[in-house]
Amino acid sequence: MDTSAPSPFVNGETLKTFLGRRVRTVVQVQHNEGGVLLGLSTDGHQLTIRGASGAPEPPHYIEVIGIADSSLSIRAESCTDFGENFDGVAFNGLCKLANDKYNYLFL
Amino acid sequence: MYNGGDHYDGNGGGAANANSLFSGGGFMPSQTTNTPEGSGGGITKTRGAQTLLPLTVKQIMDASQTNDDKSSFVVNGTEVSTVRLVGRMMNKAERITDVRFILDDGTGRIEVNRWANETSDNTEMGLVKDGDYVIVNGGLKAFQGKRHIVAYSVRLVTNYNDITHHFLYCIYVHLDLAKAKKSATQPQVTANASTWNQAPPPNNQVPTLSASGNAGGQELTDMVMNVFHDPVLVNLDHGVSIAQVASRLNISDAVARSTVAHLIDLGNLYPTIDDNHYKSTLNG
Repeated sequence: MDTSAPSPFVNGETLKTFLGRRVRTVVQVQHNEGGVLLGLSTDGHQLTIRGASGAPEPPHYIEVIGIADSSLSIRAESCTDFGENFDGVAFNGLCKLANDKYNYLFL
Repeated sequence: MYNGGDHYDGNGGGAANANSLFSGGGFMPSQTTNTPEGSGGGITKTRGAQTLLPLTVKQIMDASQTNDDKSSFVVNGTEVSTVRLVGRMMNKAERITDVRFILDDGTGRIEVNRWANETSDNTEMGLVKDGDYVIVNGGLKAFQGKRHIVAYSVRLVTNYNDITHHFLYCIYVHLDLAKAKKSATQPQVTANASTWNQAPPPNNQVPTLSASGNAGGQELTDMVMNVFHDPVLVNLDHGVSIAQVASRLNISDAVARSTVAHLIDLGNLYPTIDDNHYKSTLNG
C-alpha cells in the first residue's frame, strides 16, 4: 500500500496548485491535432494537453492523468475515453470537495 | 446518465453471490450500537462490521487497527471489514489459484487479491486488464503490517459517472458516520439512525425567526406549526391555507406567509396544491 504519489482530482481552477505534480482531470475534447489537444475543463477553462495521442474526437470527455506543466497545461501520461455522456458538473463538484473541505479523505 | 447503477450496486450486480454477501440493504451504515467503554475502545460497531463501506485508499491508510484484534480496522470510529474501492487496475498478474493486481484510485495504491474458486471467477477476471477502471468489493486484511484487499468481486466500470459517484459517496458516508459518532456522544440526541430523515418535532425547533435574537419569532413559528398540527386541520386534503393560519393566530396574511416561508426553508412545511396551501412534513 502506497499513498506517497497520489494523483489528485483537479479542475481548471485547482490545477495551478499542483504545478509539477501528477494530477488527474476530465476535459471535454475541443480540438486535437498532432498530439496536442485542447480541452474544456469542467469549470470552463481551456486546457492544453500534450502527449494525448489517440484521443477521441469532440465532444467526448477524456480523463487525463499527467504532470501539471503550467496553470493551463498538462503533460499526459495516460488518457481514457469517458464517452459523450459524462457528467462534468458532478465531477467539478467532486473536484471542489476533494481539494477543499474533505481533502483529508483524498490527500 | 446514471443508468450504470445496476453495475455499481452490489445487490444488482452480475455476481449472484454478492447478494448473500452484501444483504442488508446497501452499504449505508445502519443500526449503530455503542459498545461499552473499554471493551472496544469507544468504537462504534455496526451490525457485524460487515456493512460495505465505500472508501478511498487514503482512508484505508489512515484507518487504525483495533487493540484486541489486529485483523479489524476502524474508520471514522466505525469498525470496517468489507469495503468498496474504485480505481485503475495495474500490474495484473494471473496465477492458477488467484489473480493479483494493484488498484490505484488516485489517492493511493493498494494490492488486491482475487482467489479463483469457481470458473466464473476466472471469467470475471478475464474481462478486466491493466489500465481499466474497476469496482472492487472485498475484505480489508492485514498481513505482516501490510494492508491489502481480498476481493469478492472485480467488475469493469462501464459508466464513468460511477467513478465520480463513488468518491462523492465516500464523502457522504464519511459524513454520515461522523454524524452518528457525534450523536452517540450527545445522550439527549437519539442514536437511532432511522430518525435522521424525519423532520424535527415541532417543539424542538431549530432557531427560526429568532435568529436575530427575537424570542417572539421563535414563539410565532411554534404557534404556526401548532396550527398545522391541529387535529381539526391535519386531515384536510389540501393542507392548511395561509388565510386559516392568519385567522387562527389573529395575525396578518403577510406575517403568516413569511413565517410559513421560513418554515418551508427549514423543511418543516411543504406546499400542496398552490402557493396558499401547506402541510407539515410530520403529517406526510
